[in-house]
Amino acid sequence: MLPKSLKTTLTAVAAVTVLAVPATAQDKLKIGFLFPSPIADVGWSAELNHGRQAIEEHFGDQVETIFVENVPEGPDAARIMNQMAAQGAGMIMLGSFGYMNDGLKLAQQRPDMTFIHASGYKLAPNLGNFQSRNYESSYLVGMAAADVTETDTVGIVAAYAIPEVVGMINGFALGVQEVNPDVTIKVVWLNSWFDPPKAQESARALMAQQADVIYSLYQDTPSVVSVAEEEGVWVINTSSDMKDYAPNWLLASQIADWSTYFIESTQATIDGTFEGTAFWGGMADDTVDVKSWSSSISAETMAKIEAAAAAIRAGEFHPLTGPILDQEGTERLADGEVIEDGAMASIDWLVSGVETRIPQ
Amino acid sequence: MARFVIEARPERSVWAPIQVSLLAILLTCIGGSFLFMAYGVAPLKGLEAVFIDPLRSTYGIGEVLLKMAPLLLIAQGLAIGFRAQVWNIGAEGQLIVGAIGASLLAIQFDGTTSPLLLPGMIIAGMVGGMAWAGVAAFLRAQFNANEILVTFMLTSVALQLLYYLVSGPMRDPMGFNFPQSISFGPSATFPILIPGTRVNASLFLGLGVTVLALIFVQRSLAGYKLSVGGVAPGAAMYAGFSSKRAIWLALLISGGAAGLAGVGEVAGPLGMLQRNVSPGYGYAGIIVAVLGGLHPIGILFASALMALVYVGGDFALLTVGVPNAVTGIFQGMLLTFYLACSFLLTQRIRRITPETVPKGAPAE
Repeated sequence: MLPKSLKTTLTAVAAVTVLAVPATAQDKLKIGFLFPSPIADVGWSAELNHGRQAIEEHFGDQVETIFVENVPEGPDAARIMNQMAAQGAGMIMLGSFGYMNDGLKLAQQRPDMTFIHASGYKLAPNLGNFQSRNYESSYLVGMAAADVTETDTVGIVAAYAIPEVVGMINGFALGVQEVNPDVTIKVVWLNSWFDPPKAQESARALMAQQADVIYSLYQDTPSVVSVAEEEGVWVINTSSDMKDYAPNWLLASQIADWSTYFIESTQATIDGTFEGTAFWGGMADDTVDVKSWSSSISAETMAKIEAAAAAIRAGEFHPLTGPILDQEGTERLADGEVIEDGAMASIDWLVSGVETRIPQ
Repeated sequence: MARFVIEARPERSVWAPIQVSLLAILLTCIGGSFLFMAYGVAPLKGLEAVFIDPLRSTYGIGEVLLKMAPLLLIAQGLAIGFRAQVWNIGAEGQLIVGAIGASLLAIQFDGTTSPLLLPGMIIAGMVGGMAWAGVAAFLRAQFNANEILVTFMLTSVALQLLYYLVSGPMRDPMGFNFPQSISFGPSATFPILIPGTRVNASLFLGLGVTVLALIFVQRSLAGYKLSVGGVAPGAAMYAGFSSKRAIWLALLISGGAAGLAGVGEVAGPLGMLQRNVSPGYGYAGIIVAVLGGLHPIGILFASALMALVYVGGDFALLTVGVPNAVTGIFQGMLLTFYLACSFLLTQRIRRITPETVPKGAPAE
């Protein structure tokens, strides 16, 4: 079922997992990590794992990390968290939206521990969450997509229609429209973070509908990226730089770097100053960036992209600035109005110009 | 020319089924040891992590009991069918439809404090599972469609139905489009039995079904007819036992039990309907039924063992750092070794040379 290269990677990763051994020293902070998919070389879990490695590097003997990969968002996740707690973990990183309720339950039972949760919306004094302002980099890659498309059709293979993903699609669409307002944007909702065969099928289906740029949005593997390379279609991906998987057809990679936030949260846990707040990391603090821009993007558009990137970094420009209409034609943001973080955290509408609806 | 024949062993001990199970467990431990060695883990330490560590804490025991409930339910139902040679492979699908049925009520009557909600959900889940298995029973009884294929394929249909419902009609309107239902209230969830664990009253469903299965198999005429129909269809027909009735009965019982297991999940540890309802209980239930020798008491022990393997797999993940595929490998080994041992304990392979062919043997 899985491609061979992935299988090899999984085996290698499994071998690495052996290194995680229980603690001996009492004063060490033990940090548990739950990853929703196999760690592999690239992808969402790989980037979270880089954050884990950054913690180890920064704190050395002060901390010890344990991790479990490929944890389904179901009742087993609760058990793994509880086991980590029982084994003396003082802090847990919950690497997926679907761990929210179980994580919150455990956080309430264990006020002595701290928790950081990826992309959720519930908080507790000892449970904070972290979001990336990926819509910023989505805007930039959207501009590039509009530049290279010849069919004026771009396709998105999207994970779940949760606010983070919806926000990214909006950022992307607005970037596309900035360069070429006539481009049609189609979305396939995969309803999975990790389903390489289905992701590839969906990418092919979008290509069959004339899409000549595919946006692989939160697919934890390079599955879509390799299909695009095979078919000779432009591709953009999230989380990691995937240039190696599509040396000819990768348009750009949106990347996320959690090191700074993870290190800060760990320090706060050690110091006893942890607060359950929502962290928003963007281009300004280097949590979010774009790498491996293709040389096929026209110089004119590239200059526009660089200008937009600089404005976003400087806090002078927000991709979701009005006037913005949603798919129904209702005005969501008035002229000059900038969306607030609170509204971004619960966004459930797509901008006009995106053809596909949010599943109802 | 020498050749090999397979023949039934003439003498068979009443203890054979237990011997087979114990031997399969022993061989699995040996096989598992090799697996642990391949990962550079001391075999005894690995086996300790899988089989002993979960039982060291109340929480661990609770988790084993929590996993045991659905396995017990499913396996008891399946065993009744298997004894009648009706092969329901789709308990996973029946579990899912049962979970959907119960969730429909929980969502519809969200916020009620009526003590009738949970019993209603139990019935709805059972009916859901029965209906799903009933499709296979109808096709088999009317058109002689192979129930192995039908039940297995209907699992895929059930899964897609679940995906559709949780992404749309049954999705939590306030859940930010994540495909899951609302969280069920206290009147739609089973009460916790042991504080500090997640073991809930759905375990009693499993134990209740075990008692019923015991009575059904050993005391009732229907149970007798069912197994005669399976073992000797000709004799059953001669005696006037309907084979169609046997098919219906076997599939409805196993489907209903699997549906109950689905209720136990959504009204238990999940507390909602979501895409991951079962980590493959429906398939593991097949292993449990076979490993338990298709006997209600044997299944009770087999389900406890299988639950231990599930939970122990997670423990091994954290304490000795082997991948969680270990659980699946252990399950597979248990079934494979069981089938091999059971074959070799009831049959033997004999080499026949022309000299050893007994006199009076029919010429080829």
